This record gives sequence, C-alpha cells and structure tokens, in this order.
Amino acid sequence: MTIAENLFENLRLELRRGCLTLAVLAQLRQERYGYTLRKALAERGLEIDESTLYPLLRRLEAQGLLASEWREEEKRNKRFYRLSSDGEQIFDQLLKEWQAINTSINSIL
Amino acid sequence: MELLDRYLQAVKKHLPWQRQDDIIAELKANLEAQLEDKEAALGRPLTNDEAMAWLKQLGSPVQMAAPYQAQQYLIGPAIFPTYRYVLQLACTWAVVINVVVIGVKLAFEENTSPAAWLEVLQHVPFTLLLTAAWVTLIFAAIEFAVAHSKTKWMPPAAPSASWSPVELPPLGEGGVAGKKPRSYSKAVAEVIFGFLFLIWLLLVPRYPYLWVGPGAPYLLASPFTFAPICVQFFWWVVVLNAFQLIWHCVDLLRGTWQRQQPVKLIVMKVFGLIPLTLLLNAPEHAIVLLKHPALDQARYGETLAQINKGLHQALTVLFVIVALLLAWDIGKMIVGLYRKRVAAMG
Repeated sequence: MTIAENLFENLRLELRRGCLTLAVLAQLRQERYGYTLRKALAERGLEIDESTLYPLLRRLEAQGLLASEWREEEKRNKRFYRLSSDGEQIFDQLLKEWQAINTSINSIL
Repeated sequence: MELLDRYLQAVKKHLPWQRQDDIIAELKANLEAQLEDKEAALGRPLTNDEAMAWLKQLGSPVQMAAPYQAQQYLIGPAIFPTYRYVLQLACTWAVVINVVVIGVKLAFEENTSPAAWLEVLQHVPFTLLLTAAWVTLIFAAIEFAVAHSKTKWMPPAAPSASWSPVELPPLGEGGVAGKKPRSYSKAVAEVIFGFLFLIWLLLVPRYPYLWVGPGAPYLLASPFTFAPICVQFFWWVVVLNAFQLIWHCVDLLRGTWQRQQPVKLIVMKVFGLIPLTLLLNAPEHAIVLLKHPALDQARYGETLAQINKGLHQALTVLFVIVALLLAWDIGKMIVGLYRKRVAAMG
C-alpha cells in the first residue's frame, strides 16, 4: 500500500467510525442479533466486518446505549440487542447532529 | 463444523478471561448463522477450501479477538503531555546535577586521571535511563490508579470553566512566551519584601542573632571568624539587592511591572556571579579564619582546613549551577531572538 493509499484508508476509517455507530443504533430501534444486524446493514450498502461489528455491540451495551438478552431462536441461543431508553435519547441527539452536519457538508460541497 | 470450532477455540485464547465464554457463544451463534446462509445459497455444505477461505476472510483469531480487549495504556493520552514535560525536565536536571556533583568531586581529588573524567560521561546514559524509568513508573502508576478509579479524572490541561483569558501572557516586545504577566500585587510585594530584606541584610553584621538566631552567642564564642573577603562578599550582596530594589521601584512607578525583561534578568544573574567568584578566589580558599591563630592553630587547624575545603566545594557546585542556569537563559534568549527574526523575514 502506498503512502497516499494508506493515508486515504486511515481517513476513510476515521470518517466511517462515527457513522457506523449511528447506523447500528438506527438499526437497533428494532431488536436484532449480531448476524441479522450485519445483514441488514449490508443490504443498505454498509458492510461491516465481524471483528468490528460484534465488539462494537458489546461496547455500546457497556455504555448503556443498548440492552441485550439471550434467547433461543431456530433451535439456537442468540444474543438479541435493542436500543435502551438512554440509547434512544442519545440516538435522537446524534441523528439531529448528523442531519445538521450533512446539511452543512452538502452546502459546502 | 470442526474448522469453525477450532477457529473459535483459537479466538478464545486471546479474549479477556472474564467474558470469554459469553463472547464465544455469541460469536458461534453469529458465525453459524452466517455459515448456514452461505450453505443455503450454494445448496451444499462448504468444501474445506471454501471454509478456509471464509475463515481467512474473517481475520486471524488474534485480529478477531483484539477489539474485545479493553483499550489499555501504560500512560494514556490524558496524562501523556504532562508525562513528556516532567520526563524532559527530570532527565535534564538529573544529568546536570549528576555531572556537576561528580565533576566537582573529581576536580578536588588529587591526581585525577582522564579515565576518571571519562567515567563521568559514562554515567550520563545510566542516569538518564534510571530517571526515565522512575518517571515512567510513577506515571504508569498514576494511569493505573486513574483507570481503576470510579471517578473520571480530567487532565490539568483540559479546558475548564475557571480558565480566564486574562491569564494569557501579554503581547509585545521583550515578552517571554509562556510566562504569566506579573500582577500588580506581586510587583508591590517584591518591593516591600525587597526593602525589608535589605534592612535585614544591613542589620545582620551588627546583630548576628538575626542570622543564626539562638546560635549567635556560640558564633561569637567560637574560635573561628570570617575572612576579610567575606566583607567584600557581603557588600556585593547588599549592592545587588539594592540595585534590584531600585529596579523594581522604577518598574512600579513607570507602570512596566508586567513586562518581562530577559536582558535585565540575565545582567542581574551575571552580576550575581561576582560575589561567588570573590569567595571562590579567596587566598588559599580561606573563607573562615581562626580568631587567634597563634593560640588555636594546633587545636583547630585541621577543623578549619576541613571547613574551608567543604565551603569551597559547596561554592563551586553553586557557581556551576548558577552559571549553567545563566547559560540556559542566554541560550533561550538567543533562540527567541532568532525565531523572531526568522518570523519577521518570513
């Protein structure tokens, strides 16, 4: 990887990082488990590696933004996540912030 | 699928032990669901090669487990700027003090070989390493304590509500970057205490108890007295303090007490070296003498020699430290002037 490519990759990852959290929180307004969440995001054009998404879910849960529970589905125990009440509030604030940034960036571009 | 189980087993080894089983159970459920989807799309189980390609795409077990680890720092970003500052300061002073002390010690030893001087230089890396190790250890302990405490700690450099723009250093010529302006109360206090100190200094020769307190009678009764060179030293100190007091008074009257004046400070430090030089050049290094040499030489001669030797060594160390500080100040001023000139040109 050239220096320019490396720089681009770092900036791209930086740009994606905050967006991923917002996308995950948005998707978890509806309860899902890890794999279906990953599929749902991919279907909307946002591919996330397993090694990024699953630890992110744990972190968001540790921060109190998500609630989870183990439940059996299709003869397999799965951990289902959904937005917690704190998560809903934070998500609303982040969404407004995102929309404001998006409007600004669009007007700048 | 055996290969997936082997993969998960390898991942487990790199996970935090408290949550290993929970994370592996979740990963297994997610990856098995993904595998089922793949197999359903193909209409057959994955071949060994396909399974290996899939697992390879997931990343190595270490890569998969790493994001589950809590972020750990030896010294985190919150305290790192303070750590770097303290490290620089501690290393600089450790080396300076070490070299000065050992250097002076060697200078007073008879028949000092070049190898002994080389040994002083060899001490430098060891001193640096030891100082850096201690500073790092202390800051690592602070980081550990902060990371494990329930309350969140804010670094001192973080913006706070108590910060005020008034604290910013003044602009203008002669300003020293990064230094707070002197307040009016500090300038007035300097004049008052400067005056009181001068009075005290002038009274000391007449009333020795002002200097040595209850030890004054013992000083008078002792067989020792100060050499005449000490009188010159005393008057130099008086003159320097009087000059400094006048300077502070002028600054106060002209309303320029806030302005830092590096050149004046350097000049004062240069003059400050004069009384020290006087004592260092005392004939035969005799700063203390016997009141009655003819009577007491036999009894106190050796003690007197030891006192004068000790005083001379201490004064040499002091002189070297003051000279180094002066060189540092001059260097800083030259760098500041050079930067100003470059900025003006560019």
